[in-house]
Amino acid sequence: AVVSTQSTGEHVRCSDKIVELGEYALAHYSSNLGNEKWAVYEQLCVAALDLCPVKMKVVNRCIQKLAEQFPSSLRVSMLEGLKSEYLKKWDEALEMYNGMIEYEPTFPAPYKRKVAIYKAQGKVSDAVSELNRYLTTFSCDHESWLELADLYIGQQSYKQALFCVEELLLQHPHNHLFHQRYADILHTLGGKENLEASCKYYCRAAELNSSNVRALYGVLMSSSTLASIGKISAKAKSDNLTLAAWACDMIEEFYKSQRVGKSVILETASVLDKLSLK
Amino acid sequence: MSEVQLSLRSYAKILSHVVQYPYTAVNGVLLTPASPERKEGDGNLRRKEGNERVEVVDAVPLFHYNISLSPMLTVALTQIEEYAINRGLRICGYYHANEFHSDNDIGFVAARIADRIAENCEEGACLLLVNNEKLDHIATELPFKVFFPVRSTDRIDWKEGEEPILQYGERGLTLGPEIMKTQLYQSVVDMDSHYDDVRCHWDNAALNEVVTLFTESIPDLEEVEE
Repeated sequence: AVVSTQSTGEHVRCSDKIVELGEYALAHYSSNLGNEKWAVYEQLCVAALDLCPVKMKVVNRCIQKLAEQFPSSLRVSMLEGLKSEYLKKWDEALEMYNGMIEYEPTFPAPYKRKVAIYKAQGKVSDAVSELNRYLTTFSCDHESWLELADLYIGQQSYKQALFCVEELLLQHPHNHLFHQRYADILHTLGGKENLEASCKYYCRAAELNSSNVRALYGVLMSSSTLASIGKISAKAKSDNLTLAAWACDMIEEFYKSQRVGKSVILETASVLDKLSLK
Repeated sequence: MSEVQLSLRSYAKILSHVVQYPYTAVNGVLLTPASPERKEGDGNLRRKEGNERVEVVDAVPLFHYNISLSPMLTVALTQIEEYAINRGLRICGYYHANEFHSDNDIGFVAARIADRIAENCEEGACLLLVNNEKLDHIATELPFKVFFPVRSTDRIDWKEGEEPILQYGERGLTLGPEIMKTQLYQSVVDMDSHYDDVRCHWDNAALNEVVTLFTESIPDLEEVEE
């Protein structure tokens, strides 16, 4: 269950707030909600599962109400599956999801729950296989590409993680976060060619969004590391040093533009000096 | 035998960080007062390990996303080192909470980062692993396992030690349930939050204030015996 925050526009998982607001809304505004109340029951159920065992009664009530209103609904079956997952009845949940996939192979949710179950069981390679299989059919699901990249990163399979982010870059070439992600993995892999590539991708990310401070730090880190490698030409060294200095200026300006405290600016300036020397 | 004492301030931050992001792994660094006698450029770095108390006075939460990717870890550690130096502190350890409830061992990522931090520690270092299964019992015990580094020529092994002590003992433990009840954990700031919005500072001044007020409200305060 997610709710948007106003300040950063970031989706966060605030299950306790959702349960509080959802229960209140259903108790006091049920008629005002009209047909929207079923969506509220669904979201409330998922949030309440996060707060089990305390909120198990809420989960059961939501499932009951939804099942009465929508008999033989796949979405209601998903909630039953989630409840089985909470109770760690993995086989029961898997059977339910496999049944749903057979009945309606174009419904994405059960595939992803299977991946979640394998993750919870510690069966990372099964999770990876299942997610790969899912993505051959649902290749536009960018969250799943990110999830697969995360799974590969967790196993230090950085090259496979790069492949996943490449898919994202093909589909979303103007998304600065994906360029930055790609650069992060390249930087983690290390080595001269990867660092050079990571520097380019960090630059592209910063170009697409000059407020992406991670991209700016990334430019600084990759260019200053490259400048300190012995086997590069004098021109390459000079170019990298210039780039590192540019990144430092951009970061300092950015912090100043955000009106952070003076002590933070001073500390940041000192940090940037240290990072450029490394 | 080495042991770790956690201040209420550090405990509040670690717990808040873990609880605020229950669906992902989180990590952070531990801070201790810098030794006054140790000067910079002292080539004789004798590591006095084996029989000491590591006094953790503060903690800085690091990440809840992209935990294992490199460049931001270096940036964050440099920022925290600078912050620590300016306040007479130094980094003395690392804390880590795994993603899954039942996964309470040191994984590859935790070990790698802990190694790096231990290598940069003048003396002593510790790894605090959150025992997720004990998070249900914070009213009565701390949810941590502690590990100390055993160094050989080319590697560091992390050996489990005694459980940590909390400042003010049993009365200090009441801070945990208080944080849960008041949802104070929602105000925690980590380095990821800072990079998302640089106006957020990782010193968690707001949390510090609440912990101070909590401490002042504890009746008949006495330090845990040395």
